Amino acid sequence: MAMIGSGAPRAPAIGLPQRLLRRPGVARLAVVILLLLIWEIAARFLLDRDFISPPSVVLMSLGNLLATPGVTPALWLTLCEIAVAFVLAVIIGAGVGLAVGLNRFAHRSFMPIVLLLYGIPQITILPIFVLVFGIGAASKIAFGVTHGMFPIMIAVAAGVQKIEPVLLTSARSMGANRIQLFRYVIFPHMIPSFFTGMRLAMSGVLLGVLLAELYVSTAGIGYFTSMFTENFDATKLIGLVSVLAAIAIALNEIVRRAELRYTRWRD
Amino acid sequence: MTPAQSAISVRGVSHQFGEAGEARHVQALLDTSLDVARGELHCLIGPSGCGKSTLLNIMGGLIAPSTGTVAVADKPVRGPMPRDLAFVFQESALFPWNTVFENIMLGMTFQGVAKAERRERARRALEAVGLLEFAEHYPGQLSGGMRQRAALARAISLETGILLMDEPFGALDEQTRMVLGEDLSVLLARSNKTIVFVTHSLGEAVFLADRVAVFSARPGTIKQIIAIDEPHPRKPSFMTAPKFHALRDQLYGLLHDEIRKAISETPRTRRRYDQAGDGERA
Amino acid sequence: MSARDRATARGRLLSLLVQFAFLAILLLFWYLATTVWGVSRILLPNPLDVWHQLVGVVASGAFIPDLKVTLGELAAAFAISTTLGVSLGYLISRSRYLIKVFEPLLAAIYAIPIILFLPLYVLMLGLGPNSKIALGATISFFPIVLSTIAGFGHVDRRFVTAARSMGANDLQMFRHVLLPAALPVILAGLRMGFTVALLSVIASETIASFAGLGHRIVDLAENMDTARMFAYIVFVIVIVAFLNAVVSKLEGRARWR
Repeated sequence: MAMIGSGAPRAPAIGLPQRLLRRPGVARLAVVILLLLIWEIAARFLLDRDFISPPSVVLMSLGNLLATPGVTPALWLTLCEIAVAFVLAVIIGAGVGLAVGLNRFAHRSFMPIVLLLYGIPQITILPIFVLVFGIGAASKIAFGVTHGMFPIMIAVAAGVQKIEPVLLTSARSMGANRIQLFRYVIFPHMIPSFFTGMRLAMSGVLLGVLLAELYVSTAGIGYFTSMFTENFDATKLIGLVSVLAAIAIALNEIVRRAELRYTRWRD
Repeated sequence: MTPAQSAISVRGVSHQFGEAGEARHVQALLDTSLDVARGELHCLIGPSGCGKSTLLNIMGGLIAPSTGTVAVADKPVRGPMPRDLAFVFQESALFPWNTVFENIMLGMTFQGVAKAERRERARRALEAVGLLEFAEHYPGQLSGGMRQRAALARAISLETGILLMDEPFGALDEQTRMVLGEDLSVLLARSNKTIVFVTHSLGEAVFLADRVAVFSARPGTIKQIIAIDEPHPRKPSFMTAPKFHALRDQLYGLLHDEIRKAISETPRTRRRYDQAGDGERA
Repeated sequence: MSARDRATARGRLLSLLVQFAFLAILLLFWYLATTVWGVSRILLPNPLDVWHQLVGVVASGAFIPDLKVTLGELAAAFAISTTLGVSLGYLISRSRYLIKVFEPLLAAIYAIPIILFLPLYVLMLGLGPNSKIALGATISFFPIVLSTIAGFGHVDRRFVTAARSMGANDLQMFRHVLLPAALPVILAGLRMGFTVALLSVIASETIASFAGLGHRIVDLAENMDTARMFAYIVFVIVIVAFLNAVVSKLEGRARWR
C-alpha cells in the first residue's frame, strides 16, 4: 500500500519461510505440526502420564497396541460392521427414497413420517437395540443402519423430486415408456443426489456403529476402551482412538471424493 | 483557481491495482489533476472502467493513490475525513437492521456529533428529503428511490461541506432519476455544499453539473472540462432548452470514441478490473 | 373452489389419513405384540404399562435429579463452546488469510466422529459430569466457530466502507455494523451447536456415566425394567424436541431478516 505523495520504493523481498507460509496449505500443515509439538512437550514434561501420553510414545506403541490380544480382531470386526451397515443403509435408504420420491402421493404421505423418525434422538434407543440384538455385531450393524439410512433416503427423494418436469415431459412426448423414462432420464439425474446421500450415509453409519461399539463395554472396541481407561493406560487408549479416527477419516474421504467426481455436472 | 477557492484539489494522481506483471494488474488512473470549486456541483463522467469511481474514493480518503496528492479544504487527505466529506453510494449502504431514523442517528454517532444535537439534525435531514413520515420504516420496506433519498438524508445530516456521490441514482428508473435530480439541484441552491457527482448519464451530467470532467477510457485521465452556465435550482424546462441539447451533443462527441474503446475490451480484462477492489485502506 | 383445488385438498386429506393410519397401525401392532402375540415383556413392554410408568415418573418428579444433571452439563458445555467458538471465530474472521488457513482445518476435524474423544475425556476427567461437559463443548464448538467465521467473514463490504467513510472507529464498527450483519448466520450456528451439545451430552451419559437422563435409561435397561425405560425414552424424546423448538423460536425472534 503506497504512501500518499510518493512513488515509494518497494519493501525488500521477504524470506523463504514467510513466502512459503503465504500458501494456506502450508500454513495449515504448520499449525498441525505446532499442535503436535505442544502435545508432545506438554505430555512429556508437564502432565501426568496416567492421563495423557505424548504422540511419539503413542506412535511407537502402535505395534504394541495391535499386538494386544483381541484388539486387531475387534478393529477388523468394527470395519466389517461399518461395511455391512453401509451397504444395507444405502440399499434401504436409496430404495425407500426412490419409491417415495417417484410418487407424489407417497411423498406427501410418507415423507413427514420419515422426517419425524429422523428427528428422534436415536441415542435414547441404543439400549433397546442391544437388548434386542445382543452385544455382538448385529446390534452395531443395526444401529449403524438406522443412523445411515435416513440421510440417504431424504437426499435421494429430494433428488428425484428435483428433476425438472420439462425433461420428463419432453421424453414422454418422444414416446418413452416408464422403464425408458427411468433409465435414461430419472436415473442419471438421481446420481448426484445418490452420491451425496452416500456421503451422508457414511457419516451416519460411522456414528451409529461407533456409538454402539463404545456403549457395549463387554466386547469389541468398547471392551478395550473401558479396559485401557480403568488401567490408566493412556498410551494404548490414545492409540486405539487414533486408529479409529484414521479409519473414519479414510472412509469419509473416499465417499467425499466419489461424490465430487459424480456431481461435477451439477454446477 | 487558487487553492484557497478550491474545495478539493487533486494533483497528479495515478492509481493501479495490483503490481505490474501480476495477473490482476490494472492501471485505473493516469496522472489526473482536478480542482473542484467551493459550492459547485462537479460531475465526473466517462465510459465504464475509466476510473471515475476510483478517483472519487481517492478524493474521499478511502483509497491511497499510488502516486499524487489530494487536498480537501487545504488539508492533505490521509484517510476518511468524516467531518469534511460525506458519501452517497449507488447501492444505498443503509444498514438493513436499523430503521431509517436509526441509520441517520448512527451516521452522526460515527462522526462524533453530540447526543443532544442528533435528533434535531436527523429530523431536519429527513424533512429536507421528504421522508419524515417513513422514519420508522426499515430500508427493506422502502422503494429504491426512497432508499436513496434516505441515504442522501444521512449524508446531509452529517453537515459536511462536501458530498461525494457515486452514481447515486444509477439503480433507479429514469423518472425517479429526473425527480431526484431536480431535488438535488434545489438542495444545492439552498445550501452551500460542494458536490462531486459520478455518473454514466449524459443528460444527468448536463442537467445537474456546473462543470463536467470528461474521462478517457482506461487508463483514465481527464480529457476535458466543460462548463455549464445555468443557475441552480435548475428547472425541468432546462432539459428541453437548446442550450441543453448543444451541451449534451458536445459531451457525446467527446465521449463517443472513449466509449467504443471501453466496449471493445475483452471480457477477461474487464472482469479483472471489477475484482480489483482491494486498494482500500485498512 | 375450483375442481383442481378440490382435488388437491382431497389429496392432502388422503395423505394425512395415510399418516394417521400408519401410526395407528404401528400402535396397534405394538399392543398386539405384547398381549396376544406373546412377545417377551422384557423386550417389548405393553404400551399401557409404558403409559402408566410415564405418568408416574412425571407426576412423582422422579425425573428431576437426572434432568438437573443433564441440563447442568448441557448449560456448561454450551456456555464454553459459545464463548470459545464466537471469540475464536471472530478473531479468525478478521483476516482473509487466517480464514483460508483455519476454516478447512476446522471443517475437517468436525467431519470426524468426535464421540471417539469420549474415552479420552473419561480417562482425564473421570466418569462425572466434567467429561460430559468436555465432550459436549468440544463437539458443539465446531458449528459455532464455523458459522461465526462465515458470518463475520461475509459481511457486505459496502456496509464497512460506508461506516468507515463516516468515521466509525473499531469498536463502533464491531457493535453497529459487523455484529448485526453477522448475527443471523451466527445464531443459526448457535442453534445447531445447542442441538449437537444436547445430543452429545445424552450420548456420553449413555456410554459412560453414573448420572443423568442417558444413564437412567441404561440403568433401567440393565435392570430389565423395560416399561419404565420406555417411559424415560419417551420423556427424553419430548424434552429434546421441546428444547430444540424453544431454541428455534428464540433464533427466529432475534433475527432481523
